[in-house]
Amino acid sequence: MAAQPSTIIEAKDVDFYYPGGEDADSPALSGINLTVNQGEYVALVGPNGSGKTTFLKLLNALLIPTHGQVLVKGISTAVESTLPEVRRVCGMIFQNPDNQLVATTVEEDIAFGLENLALPPEEIRNRVFKTAALLGLEKLLSQPPHLLSGGEKQRVAIAGVLVMEPECILMDEPTAMLDPAGRRDVLNTVRELNRNRNIAVIHVTHFPEEAAGTDRVVILNEGKLAADGASAEVMTDLQFLHGLGLQGTTAVELAALLRQDSFPLPPQILYNRELVDSLCSLGQNS
Amino acid sequence: MFIGTEQLTHTYMPGTPFATKALHDISFNFKQGDFALIIGPSGSGKSTLIQHLNGLLKPTSGQVVFEGKNIGSDKQELLRLRKRIGLVFQMPEEQFFSETVFDEVAFAPRNQGFDENEVENKVIEALEKTGLDPNELRMRHPFQLSAGQKRLVAIAAVLSLNPEVLILDEPTVALDTAYRKNLFDLLTGLNHKEKLTIIISTHHLDEAAALADRVLVLKQGELAMFGPAVEVFGRREELYSLGLALPPVTEIMHGLAEKGMPVSTSVYTLQEARREINKVKRRDRS
Amino acid sequence: MTRSITLGQYIPGQSFIHRLNPRLKILILVLILVLLFLLETFGALLASLAAALAMFALAGIPFSYLMRGLRPIFYIALFALIIYFFFTSGGVVLLRIGFITVESEGVEQGLFIVARLVVLVLFSLLVTLTTTPLSLTHGMGYFLKPLRYAGLPTEEVAMIMAVALRFIPTLMEESQRLMRAQLARGADFETGSIFRKAGNMVPLIVPLFVSAFRRADELALAMEARGYRIGARRTRMHEDIITLKDWGALALVLVLVALVWAFSL
Repeated sequence: MAAQPSTIIEAKDVDFYYPGGEDADSPALSGINLTVNQGEYVALVGPNGSGKTTFLKLLNALLIPTHGQVLVKGISTAVESTLPEVRRVCGMIFQNPDNQLVATTVEEDIAFGLENLALPPEEIRNRVFKTAALLGLEKLLSQPPHLLSGGEKQRVAIAGVLVMEPECILMDEPTAMLDPAGRRDVLNTVRELNRNRNIAVIHVTHFPEEAAGTDRVVILNEGKLAADGASAEVMTDLQFLHGLGLQGTTAVELAALLRQDSFPLPPQILYNRELVDSLCSLGQNS
Repeated sequence: MFIGTEQLTHTYMPGTPFATKALHDISFNFKQGDFALIIGPSGSGKSTLIQHLNGLLKPTSGQVVFEGKNIGSDKQELLRLRKRIGLVFQMPEEQFFSETVFDEVAFAPRNQGFDENEVENKVIEALEKTGLDPNELRMRHPFQLSAGQKRLVAIAAVLSLNPEVLILDEPTVALDTAYRKNLFDLLTGLNHKEKLTIIISTHHLDEAAALADRVLVLKQGELAMFGPAVEVFGRREELYSLGLALPPVTEIMHGLAEKGMPVSTSVYTLQEARREINKVKRRDRS
Repeated sequence: MTRSITLGQYIPGQSFIHRLNPRLKILILVLILVLLFLLETFGALLASLAAALAMFALAGIPFSYLMRGLRPIFYIALFALIIYFFFTSGGVVLLRIGFITVESEGVEQGLFIVARLVVLVLFSLLVTLTTTPLSLTHGMGYFLKPLRYAGLPTEEVAMIMAVALRFIPTLMEESQRLMRAQLARGADFETGSIFRKAGNMVPLIVPLFVSAFRRADELALAMEARGYRIGARRTRMHEDIITLKDWGALALVLVLVALVWAFSL
């Protein structure tokens, strides 16, 4: 049962129960089927407690499905012996940039994953310097992490994943604790890696603007898959989003209000630019 | 002058090789009843400035002024001052140490030497002000609350002193959209109904811009801009070059204005934008 | 934001002493300590003091650091002097206060012991001031390696030390922030008896522990996600290379030890 060559991640009938506690009879995730292909940029969205983070951890074998299975390039995450390969293919970026940097200098932190693979020091150095150059971190290499800004810390974390030559980057709200400049920095970095290196990205986010900027949006609600489609479709279905307690982008929200005031705006408006253009062309017609 | 600084300069570890100037020559004043914003990229000195306003940090040179008087360093005087100027730190729920919500909120009034009857009244009043149900929550363990509830309890823990000025350092960081909106509603209420002077630092201008009376912008420890909100937010290019972002609604209005639509760009909420666009378009048609 | 918290006592520099391989630096320090215990004459001790001071100068370390480093042993030295002065007999009686006497042998021994202690501390200080805490940890980890055969998880201990070093500044920053946050709520960390003070620390200690555990939790997850496995073989980005210079320094110290031994200086 070989997976197709372009498939990176495959979740098959995944249920997950956290052991013990009040969650014993209610699953954190149930019946999840999802396939992510090479080079896809997927936003994972959902209300608090919908299971987004849990699902992300399943993809990196930090958690193992209670039922069903998760395959990373055809390898089951439940097999102990192939864990290093699974974690190399799927790297993970966490929300708090402070708590994922391990080493006392930036370069040694980027090297951490390679050191765990027990590669020769010379190869580690080469790959660390190459990756640092790619992300513009050369000047920070000998800095201790606590002197970096939030955005820089997240870029170091991304470098630590990128140096492993991954095929998929999993990100758990990587911009939640950053200022607008840091946020832009991180988003641009990831977008470029996605476009230029064909790395798949699964990005958990609360920001509608971030979700709208991806190729595909997957919505989780109460541990179940509530939607999965092109971001232009999912993120413009305002009724559906509001029903789950989620919000659309500002352009989508404003367009909806203006439609109530009988402005004949097209349904596919997602970005600011589209709303501005539509409103201006209305002006010319009247 | 109600609350502000005069030529405030702050240097960390002065006289050592590690000395760093965190703030340089800052003068401003906020008026009683203001809803004031302190914005700036991370590392620009927002937290340092905020911690001067109730005497937690002492100026290296210059003064902090409250009601026309310099803040001194007498301990009893500072304790009284901190009763009148409440300060909520970043991620305030990380300060929790009590076993019940009641004790957590009671900490400040107890420190001020109120007797237990008064403390009880103050705790209940503070919880109610934040929209929490005292009867339901008072005996709960603060660590078991939801993220949004924790943040509210942390704010109640400062409101329990009945301060006249409430300062919050990044009150919405790491909160999702719904909690964020709820928090801003709360602050608006406190500002309007309780006549509290509110000073916040934030990255999220989305909600905060509409509420602001006066705005202070910091750039690398220096005062970059200070004035009424409309004036500061009018300097869009400058804000952008500082890595700050106006609310998406305002960006849409700027987009429309650039395309020649005669709309006001001092618009910060969806409803304002809706009204403004309707106004202009109706005028178009008639 | 306290951007200036530094790790340990390390003073950055590029001197010969800074660049010595940390493993050999530790080994050399041990040899010097042995040497100091072999010394028998004041002359030799003075010579080693001069050598220590010369090395401080070579490493470019300001005199003030030297004095600060010696401060902690002031009371120990004082105590040793008193014990030797008043309770060791022999030689000429120098002073008599009632039935207590100070005799020349006691004075001599006391001064010798204290002088040896000072030189010993100076050399140790030299190592900690010129080596980053991380290199120091790795250097010591190397000498603990044989314990692996006795079933001790030496690699893991080295990792624990390195992670601890990484988080010292973060947690120090956090404790300062917490202290101010609780002060803003009217907390008092200064007045009262020692018991009261201890009680007043609860609002500081509890959140600090909670946060440290949460960080530990997240860090463990991040380390696991990045392929760290307990007991698995690892390599290091920066190899620990011993150069000719390092061997030269070691040889020099060995010769010194041999000389001192041979001539019982």
